[in-house]
Amino acid sequence: MRRACRPIFVFFAVAALFVGCNSRSHTSQPENPPHGGVMQPYAGKLPPDDGQWTMPAKDYGAYRYSQLDQINTSNAKDLKLAFTFSTGTTNGLEAAPLVVNNTMYIITSFPNMLYALDLTKPGAPMKWAYDPKPVASAKGVACCDLVNRGGSYYNGKIIYATLDGYVVGVNANDGHEVWKTKVGDINIGETITMAAQVVKDKVLVGNSGGEFGVRGWIVALNADTGKLVWKAYNTGPDKDVLIGLRFKPFYDMDKGKDLGVSTWNPDQWKIGGGNVWGWIAYDPDLNIVYHGTGNPGPWNPDERPGDNKWTSGIFARDADTGEALWYYQWSPHDMHDYDGINEQILLDLPIDGKTRKVLVRPERNGYIYVLDRTTGEVLSATPYGHITTSSGVDLKTGRLKVNEELKPSPGKVVHGACPAAPGVKDWNPSAFSPKTGFLYLPHNNLCMDWESVETGYIAGTPYVGADVKMYPGPGGNGGVFSAWDPINKKEVWHFDDRFPVWSGALATAGNVVFYGTMDGWFIARDAQDGHELWRFKTGSGIIGQPITYKGPDGKQYVAILSGVGGWAGAVVTGGLDVRDPTAALGFANATAELPKYTNKGGMLYVFQLP
Amino acid sequence: MKTLFYLLALSGLILALAACNRDNGVAVASGATPPIPTTVGPVPGGATPPAAHANPFSGNEVALTEGRKLFNWYNCSGCHGGHAGGGMGPSLRDEIWLYGNRDDQIFDSIAQGRAHGMPAWGPKIPEQQIWKLVTYIKSLRTPQEPDPPLMPEQEGIVKGSINSVPEAQK
Repeated sequence: MRRACRPIFVFFAVAALFVGCNSRSHTSQPENPPHGGVMQPYAGKLPPDDGQWTMPAKDYGAYRYSQLDQINTSNAKDLKLAFTFSTGTTNGLEAAPLVVNNTMYIITSFPNMLYALDLTKPGAPMKWAYDPKPVASAKGVACCDLVNRGGSYYNGKIIYATLDGYVVGVNANDGHEVWKTKVGDINIGETITMAAQVVKDKVLVGNSGGEFGVRGWIVALNADTGKLVWKAYNTGPDKDVLIGLRFKPFYDMDKGKDLGVSTWNPDQWKIGGGNVWGWIAYDPDLNIVYHGTGNPGPWNPDERPGDNKWTSGIFARDADTGEALWYYQWSPHDMHDYDGINEQILLDLPIDGKTRKVLVRPERNGYIYVLDRTTGEVLSATPYGHITTSSGVDLKTGRLKVNEELKPSPGKVVHGACPAAPGVKDWNPSAFSPKTGFLYLPHNNLCMDWESVETGYIAGTPYVGADVKMYPGPGGNGGVFSAWDPINKKEVWHFDDRFPVWSGALATAGNVVFYGTMDGWFIARDAQDGHELWRFKTGSGIIGQPITYKGPDGKQYVAILSGVGGWAGAVVTGGLDVRDPTAALGFANATAELPKYTNKGGMLYVFQLP
Repeated sequence: MKTLFYLLALSGLILALAACNRDNGVAVASGATPPIPTTVGPVPGGATPPAAHANPFSGNEVALTEGRKLFNWYNCSGCHGGHAGGGMGPSLRDEIWLYGNRDDQIFDSIAQGRAHGMPAWGPKIPEQQIWKLVTYIKSLRTPQEPDPPLMPEQEGIVKGSINSVPEAQK
């Protein structure tokens, strides 16, 4: 057992707070002084770190934390460009580069090219390129730009998914295709955008298509052969969802037979969404994988009465068989497009005097949930942004307390629904630093007007049924980058940004955290007090995930893909007309100014110390 | 055996005809017969392109309103934006027309589809309805545009403070 806080850390933290107050700011909004939080180094087990980056979040627990510390708070100001590489794309780049065996691998937005760069040679020249040749018509069923969120390395292969519904295993040495498996069908609106996640000897991938009436699923493929091992749907009969005798949800609302059928109007579950396009975490001790499920379809909630299981929730599944072990629904009968697919960070935290195995989930509906990851019990749900659509979570029933006044209904325009459809935080993953004990959250500050409209299902076309117009929330800034104390459940510091902060975050043992902004700045901050250490203006807006690695020369490097896009940046990549505030499912209105700040174009930037 | 075949064929025909008359927009089995394809690229040497097919609903106000409804009905709005400002598909409000902005060219883009994601609606949407969609699309940004876009009423939203909702209590 460890005491709640150590005096020496309190001293440093308090001193840091004063330093933080005086730090300069380059953000579009005046910075707020840090206002709370006590640094509390993490006492739990840490995964080993070999200086590589072999999977989306670097580790199974989804920390996005590197133990490299050559780049620190004293020298980060000296960071300079090491090399660059053009991806040849003009759509949004959301992937984390991989670094394995002195080679860097870059996965691009459509056409989903895979590039291998030789880190042993000056300028990191291209070793080879792999082209999966996805069909162009896949572009017509991708809801939110043509992004790809990355892949994993396993046993000599780079494994990732393509927009047109394939998963590929590519020889990491020579770029030859080892296997290619079709798992999705674009003709019914299925695409794949998520980062393929290797878990032991399997690779896990799910489908996108929540705006096309696509029934959500997750598959596990043999990572050596690409053969299907198990498949679990997120709507429909229990047998399809892999719900059996081992399924023990914590709350009554998630108990009962075939809820994936009975919480829908007849047959609606077949086109009900619940897609898996976000993040997967894995607990090796429990042998459990955790994955979220996306929004129910269509967005118009009146067209799908019921709780719409198992959408907008989280499953814990047996990693070998896919059997469901527990489930919790963040947003039953979702009414605002609050997908439940964000990252879950697996931590062992002291809570009420006991160390609990928890998962921390900064959820789209605006709450940071702390769940017991063995049972699915919600230990706390704390707002981390402006929320008007609900007033909290009833911890007895587990149910979100929805604000009835902001419930959409036919013929009514709902004003001031916060957070907007992309939530307080969308897919853009946070990072956790065991050194500070803080979570680093790139996120949104958006509200919306919503009008439900009638919609009809036509396979392979959008199935939405809502006119949405988004705009910045209180303060007028669209985005925020903040540090969060998961034990004391409060914000430590935050910095506003003009636009949604749509990039991932990276934490390092040098106490430097990295993220990027949609107007193209790549920023390093002090992990403790948040003050800015360094920034670099890249050629396009940043929505990628920063990584760090140890090069063949033994030195630490930091890499980021620049290339604006994604749902938030579709206004730039799609050349949208903001005279229609409902363009890009309503996002164009919130980022209408973005084309004045940045342009499209993909480029890798890698930085080092002099 | 032969009688059975004819009976089946006849019932199929009746079903098909019934489907044709169901003007509910979604379950329509019949589709448009695209007109003779129009040119999209330049004609070598700059010769005059073939005569365009006329839109039978040009200037027809009823068709304009119906076209607006069909734009939502066939989920065009899902891709091209609630008021055609774009999203998954390109904006139809601006001045950029990859495949031409003549009525017959827009008709062909809808009926035949385009390689980068635009579905071929010819087999799904009756010809008359495609022309009505064209009529609506041509009206965008003109005084005739039905149901033009309105900016959101965000007054009163940009206030309050971050984390204004109390934490969930046990």
